Amino acid sequence: MADGGPPSSDTAANLVANSGAKPGANSGALPLARTLGARALRTTLTWQSLRMVCRLGFAAALAVFAGAMIESDTFIWPAFAGAIGGLILSSGAGYWADMQVADAEAKLVNALRARLKDRLAAMPAARVATRPVGALIAGLQRHPPALASLIISHAAARTMLAIAPLAAAVTIAIVSWQAAATLLLAIPVMIMFFVLLGSVVRGRAEAQEAAFGRLAAQFADRIRSLPTILANHALASEHDKIERRMTGYADSTMAVLKPAFLNAGIIDFFSALAIAVLAVFLGLGHLGLVHIPGFTGLVLWQSLFILIIAADFFTPFRRYAEQYHVKSEGEAAAKELDWYFAAGAATAATRFVPAGIEDFDAASLPPTGLIAISGPSGAGKSTMLRVLAGIDAPLPKFDALLDALPAIQARGCDWVSTDIYVPAGPLADAIAWHLDDIDPAAIRKTAERVGLLDENLLPGGLVARINDGGDNLSGGQRMRIGIARILLSDRIVLADEPTAKLDPKTAKLVRDVLIEAANQRLVIVATHDDQLIEAANRKIVLRPPTQNQAAA
Amino acid sequence: MSQSATAPSVDSAAAARAPWRLAILFAVAATASGILLTGVSVWFLGAVALAGLGPAALAFNFHIPAAFVRLFALTKTLGKYGERVVGHRAALLDQVKRRAGLFAAMARAPSTRAAGWQLGHQDRLSDYIDDVEDVDYARLRVGMPALVVVVGVGVLAAATAWLAPLALPPIAILIGAVLLMLRLTLRDLTESGAAARTAQRSGGRLLGAVLAATVPLQAGGDFPSAIDAAFAQFSDAERERLAQRRTFALLDLLAGLAGPLAAISVLVAAWHGGEHGSALLVAAFLAFGWLALAEVAQGLSRIVFGHVREIAARDGLKSWTATAATDVVAPLTPPLTLQTLVLTQVPHQTPDGRKLGEAFDLTLHAGKPTMLVGASGAGKTTLLKQIAGWIADDRHGRYTGNSVVLLGPCRRAMSHLCLHDAAILSDTVRDNLFAPNATDAECWEALEAVEIADRIATAGGLDAWISQDMLSLGEAQRLNLARTWLATAPMVLLDEPTEHLDTVQASRILNRLLERMANRVVIYSSHNADAGHGSVRVAIGA
Repeated sequence: MADGGPPSSDTAANLVANSGAKPGANSGALPLARTLGARALRTTLTWQSLRMVCRLGFAAALAVFAGAMIESDTFIWPAFAGAIGGLILSSGAGYWADMQVADAEAKLVNALRARLKDRLAAMPAARVATRPVGALIAGLQRHPPALASLIISHAAARTMLAIAPLAAAVTIAIVSWQAAATLLLAIPVMIMFFVLLGSVVRGRAEAQEAAFGRLAAQFADRIRSLPTILANHALASEHDKIERRMTGYADSTMAVLKPAFLNAGIIDFFSALAIAVLAVFLGLGHLGLVHIPGFTGLVLWQSLFILIIAADFFTPFRRYAEQYHVKSEGEAAAKELDWYFAAGAATAATRFVPAGIEDFDAASLPPTGLIAISGPSGAGKSTMLRVLAGIDAPLPKFDALLDALPAIQARGCDWVSTDIYVPAGPLADAIAWHLDDIDPAAIRKTAERVGLLDENLLPGGLVARINDGGDNLSGGQRMRIGIARILLSDRIVLADEPTAKLDPKTAKLVRDVLIEAANQRLVIVATHDDQLIEAANRKIVLRPPTQNQAAA
Repeated sequence: MSQSATAPSVDSAAAARAPWRLAILFAVAATASGILLTGVSVWFLGAVALAGLGPAALAFNFHIPAAFVRLFALTKTLGKYGERVVGHRAALLDQVKRRAGLFAAMARAPSTRAAGWQLGHQDRLSDYIDDVEDVDYARLRVGMPALVVVVGVGVLAAATAWLAPLALPPIAILIGAVLLMLRLTLRDLTESGAAARTAQRSGGRLLGAVLAATVPLQAGGDFPSAIDAAFAQFSDAERERLAQRRTFALLDLLAGLAGPLAAISVLVAAWHGGEHGSALLVAAFLAFGWLALAEVAQGLSRIVFGHVREIAARDGLKSWTATAATDVVAPLTPPLTLQTLVLTQVPHQTPDGRKLGEAFDLTLHAGKPTMLVGASGAGKTTLLKQIAGWIADDRHGRYTGNSVVLLGPCRRAMSHLCLHDAAILSDTVRDNLFAPNATDAECWEALEAVEIADRIATAGGLDAWISQDMLSLGEAQRLNLARTWLATAPMVLLDEPTEHLDTVQASRILNRLLERMANRVVIYSSHNADAGHGSVRVAIGA
């Protein structure tokens, strides 16, 4: 089973998805990958060509060696040495070519990821939020390798498809140009078959499209929604449904695979047929029964030579056919990755200038004090805070907010909310995560101040272990880590709903710490909390705009 | 081996094996034909060349070998096609059975009812599906091709022992070298594979934590350095994968050398054995047979790769299902109605069982909905899951319904739990409602009640196909509440039913639901203390 990769369950779906795929536009992941991989591809091709040449040399020497041995009863040492030498050289070149492909693809994957990382690092939060986190991660894990295979492996196979059969034909022509011509004649016939089959496959695939689109991912979908299925007592019915639908999917996959496998079958057929036809013709020539130009009057090593190389003539076709899924997967990956390179950030769907924002005197930010931004949900409190943090585009027609940015950027800011980043590891590291050389005593003191040391739900004090993604922390514990961080820093504090969803005790602690911090520096909070608003030095009340303003 | 199995499963196992047998038959036929085609062609050419030199030329019956050559060419092609088609058919049939079984096993695993369903995240789900596929196709990728190569090598080695015994030692050395190489590298390959998996997954997890905190990290200017750390893990994974591929290249080098070297060995051995002229033809037949087998053995690294992945994948899958509770569900007849549910000494705990506070003693009455209020992390969801029988009971907690003690499985059967992060299935609207006995009119009534009927009508009605990404969070939540509307369980538990809905709409929908559930025991949670609705309020503090 050295033939094409077995299908992943979406291979067939890819056949559909990519039957109409077009090469990428001028900007995007595909051209970038091509540029990044160009040199490595050339090196790979050089080694693969070398392997091909050595392989032809091996075949020629083996033919001479075996032919002379049988026909003229002589052991030709140079031919023997040539066969061994050609074999070792071609294997060596092949090994080196494989290493080059592996290296090149690994490098390309890393280079692509580096670019993607830069794009991601510079991406506005609002645009990051337009895609589910899980989809982003799965894409970053899987798409670069798929694209790299397309750029290196697949492109190399495609180029070798153009070079190798021609080289084999030229080599055969040394012995008999008629035999070479016979092989070359097979190519247009093969291509005709491919084209005919291609349309059949596409037709079938289109007919099965609904089945692919809906049934391909049914198993994954049911695993994803397993708790919901259990909660609704639907396990038995969904189990039956999965079995039924997967059987349907298997049937439609087979309906597409059958003609698709004919592609490989055609190559097998032609290579087997070519050997059979050549063997019979050459045999007739040897017997001298029939006179066929180019096939008569040859000695045994010459006919063996033709026969062995004829088999190699078809190898590149087979190698290329094996890569059909690499192509579709690579192109699909490139399309997905284009999202990172697309110009223009997606902005929030509805952006407006909330009424009341003009009370925020952006031009003269005080060095210390508490500014409370309040107002009903959806009035734009969080948006305003994000604009001030410099991570959201400024509100249209309200450039005044921009005046605040230089001052905030100069002093830097700490963001406090329940969704702060908490790295896995000991609590002390989670608190001082972004600070360079900080006094352990200071960490202990702060942790104690925010009540993280005598927390019975996070036993262990400063060495308490925090899980991946902080999933053993409650909202209250996260918020305490957040305020511990601001106690250790001297930057401006931006707090988004810092006391919402907290128990009264934690809420009071957070409130107290924020008010205390406001004595030394500027603290801006977006909040519903009346007590916090009460304590503020400056109060901004936002209201959603009226219809007229929204339209303006 | 199937003594203990029941009759139908023996039948189905036999039925599952039948296509594999046929596929292997095709594969062996294709490989044998390939070897014979090359061998016979070479033998034929040699024979006619020798005959052509003398007067035997006219007497040579070339029709028979020529016919064989054509026959082998055809069987090789057809065998290969048959191997592909039947092999894939067999793999797909296996896949249906395996996955259905896996789904059932996953449903039994306690992690499905625990807090935070890991496979609800696409990255984890993709990893999981990769594992499932690696196991699904192991037979096709590993078992069958390995069998064909082993059989091919065995047959040719036997033929060599008979026809050119002098060639056996070098061939044995070659095969030994390949096997030794396999043995030496398999551990490294497995380790690199495991390291790549670990690095890739921990990178994914890290990136997940970072992306979930995009806003705070960007505000603090720490976003780029935080993603750096995650991408560094991806680079580690790539390095391990590269190490693997380099080893594969070495394996392919050896496997590629073995076939041609065996061929040359056979020729040289025959020559040294004193065979000349037409006596050499048999050796040539064999030698070129080895050459043809080498073509098949070229996929060695792919076979090994499939094997390594299969082992890792089986381990990966086991981690999900190994903990499956042997939940022997005795036939239950849960009460169809429930007047009161009394909770005594039910522990107040976190999802992972840590004590949060005093145990609960609560009495819940049908027709008097109870609202659990409290801060995030106070244990509201956990209490709902405890009542629903989703979390194993401890020794003290007791649940009494209609004066009968209700154990976990029983409570599970008689409750409807409306999860706050419920999923929308990729399916029709009707199937998403999980009410197989409801009429169209009842379904529409439910959709009207949760104010999503218009949206569904636009999307194409009850038989329209929907999926999670087609609905907003609010729409998904409302559809989820429609499931509750149609549920008939005597005990209804709703976790944050008003999440993702605006206050006014949420209270309208909740009131309708509570009115419909008037004769049942209803408990719901809300972190919003103002969403009163005239329910009995139970404050839960951390």
